[in-house]
Amino acid sequence: MAEFPFEISPMFEGERVRKEGMFVELGGPKSLGLELVRAADMDAIEDDKVTIVGPDLKEMEEGKTYPWAMIFNIGGELVEPDLESVVERRVHDFINYCQGIMHLNQRYDVWMRVSKDTAAKMDSFKPFGQAVMMLFKTELPFIEKMQVTFYTDQAEVEKQLVEAKEIFKARDARTKDLRDEDVDVFYGCTLCQSFAPTNVCVVSPDRVSLCGAINWFDGRAAAKVDPEGPQFAIAKGDLLDANTGEYSGVNDIAVKLSSGEFSKIKLHSFFDSPHTSCGCFEVVGFYIPEVDGIGWVNREYQGMAPNGIGFSTMAGQTGGGKQIVGFLGIGVAYFYSPKFIQADGGWNRVVWLPSMLKEKIAETIPEDLKDKIATENDATDIESLKAFLQEKNHPVVATWAAAEEEEEEEEEAEETAVAAAPMMMPAAGFQMPAMASMPMMSAGKAGGIKITFKNAKISIDKMIVSEKKE
Amino acid sequence: MGYSVTKVIAITGKGGTGKTAVAALLIRSLSKKGKFLLAVDADADTNLPETLGCEDVKTIGDAKEYLQAEITKPRPDNPDMNKESVLKSKVYEIIEEMPGYDLLVMGRPEGSGCYCYVNNLLRGIMDKLIVNYDVVIIDAEAGLEHFSRKIIRDIDDLIVVTDASRRGFRTAERIHELVDELDSNVGRIHVIANKVTDANREKLVKLAEDLKLNMIGMIPLDPKIEEMDIKGIPLFEISDDSVAAVEIESIVKELGF
Repeated sequence: MAEFPFEISPMFEGERVRKEGMFVELGGPKSLGLELVRAADMDAIEDDKVTIVGPDLKEMEEGKTYPWAMIFNIGGELVEPDLESVVERRVHDFINYCQGIMHLNQRYDVWMRVSKDTAAKMDSFKPFGQAVMMLFKTELPFIEKMQVTFYTDQAEVEKQLVEAKEIFKARDARTKDLRDEDVDVFYGCTLCQSFAPTNVCVVSPDRVSLCGAINWFDGRAAAKVDPEGPQFAIAKGDLLDANTGEYSGVNDIAVKLSSGEFSKIKLHSFFDSPHTSCGCFEVVGFYIPEVDGIGWVNREYQGMAPNGIGFSTMAGQTGGGKQIVGFLGIGVAYFYSPKFIQADGGWNRVVWLPSMLKEKIAETIPEDLKDKIATENDATDIESLKAFLQEKNHPVVATWAAAEEEEEEEEEAEETAVAAAPMMMPAAGFQMPAMASMPMMSAGKAGGIKITFKNAKISIDKMIVSEKKE
Repeated sequence: MGYSVTKVIAITGKGGTGKTAVAALLIRSLSKKGKFLLAVDADADTNLPETLGCEDVKTIGDAKEYLQAEITKPRPDNPDMNKESVLKSKVYEIIEEMPGYDLLVMGRPEGSGCYCYVNNLLRGIMDKLIVNYDVVIIDAEAGLEHFSRKIIRDIDDLIVVTDASRRGFRTAERIHELVDELDSNVGRIHVIANKVTDANREKLVKLAEDLKLNMIGMIPLDPKIEEMDIKGIPLFEISDDSVAAVEIESIVKELGF
């Protein structure tokens, strides 16, 4: 290893260079700071070269803040533009390994400080640049050649910033287009297992974590740094069903992390083997059998949903890391997923949203459905919801007729008193799930009773509901 | 800056017993001795920053809310944002650089969403931040919430400040029990009696003995402290010969400095 004027170790990662011990500040809240990694042709890179545009370290005045930009070029047989952001994430780590150099933030918010001690040991940023590139090439061996340019001149930094922002914009557009089928690996997170021991949070490009805080890119970054940490890679395995989002690798991890409680998790399903729900999800979805539709309530909504219960009650029933058929916790960003509960009709199945949530996610609701989804201003109970959906001709209404027809057929075949039962069965082909703790709402106007079966196994040979004869 | 082992001291107790004053006096004494220290205000109800002569500080709570809002945007501008380095930047930005020591204020409780992820990032950042210092002194509320969340994982010395009231001692006893329930590693637990007078001195010693609490200091009721409080002079400016400051010196020795 080459000799550097300062020590290099992960031990310095959290080192704080205080104002009192600082030689210069680069970028940060009071100035401009930029970092960018770009893939380049091998021929265009002069390995280990450090270029400084503007005043070098020895020309800087003690105690002052200077604008700062650093642009790294990487080359190698395996280097491609998609890797730029992966490499860029490590700039923060590797610079902090250098003793006496503090690096914070990212992209165009970079903030650095060089300590007096370290500044006294070198005249130029050159050894610093070489140390960082040495770390990159050691830790990420696919980088075969690397060079860096440091800019400390205000006008130059501004110019680089304008160009970089365009590059970031294009990069972000690409990341937003990343789909489940584009990657081989999903990520799991066990942070919630402390209170939801069987929760298996699976994060894919098309499905954000339930808390909304962790997306696929966060999983990737965290799993790279600490594969044994709370976020880890899940090999996707075989695609078993594209529509429901069922993968063999996800099923395997579901068995493992739930200690055998679940055998399957289908990422984009609401009814059949849905994702487990931790308890700290941003939004909970609930099935409304009377209209065969799904409503959603967000944590901030204080009122009641048309099924007569509010977020906290539903969260209490749904949480704990179980697969609760009829309820599903999600992160808000999942509404933006092109695979949003696609196994169960996607947006066509959504019948109710609190107005605050509907407004927040308005841009992702399909145009032809916008007016057909009710809010608390349109419907507060099942009857008014039914009337609203009928009036707007919501897609679920078409399934009601089918369900009724089927019911009639059944009645003809079996001359029992089913017709007297006010219970309306949902769409054809839909089987009422084996509810672990699904509240049964009385659909008629019989009053506010709620029966909750928990872990119940009931077998009934015949049930006759008939009108009470006085 | 030494990378020797950092000593973490948490100070807690019932409200009104003067625990913040004790924390401020300990910070004053240790930083005067050349110890590089981090003062942490982990009690939203008290006023350690004012006691140290520092106002309008930003808090970890602000930093957490900023990141939480940023990362739970339904359509983040940059899905590949390095959240750890952004949160670290916010935390390092709010650290108040005082002469000879740093001050960090935990601030408001979190909102209603899920903070598991943000807290997990924060834990990692705090672990790495703490090793910068010789000593960390935490002014903690009696419920020890930040420790139950493990934002700060290990405490070497937990000091419970009490006055002569029975309730003050009750709190000390309860904290003792609470520590057993915590997953955090707590080294030793001590008690400091505060506002001690000739009239209550004996009673305090006996109470501590009865409850099997290890008393490492008795700070006399100091008229100077009350006077400074009324005039709004930061306690940091107390003179070395005041009775409280003298007793703090002996406590600092007891703590192994």
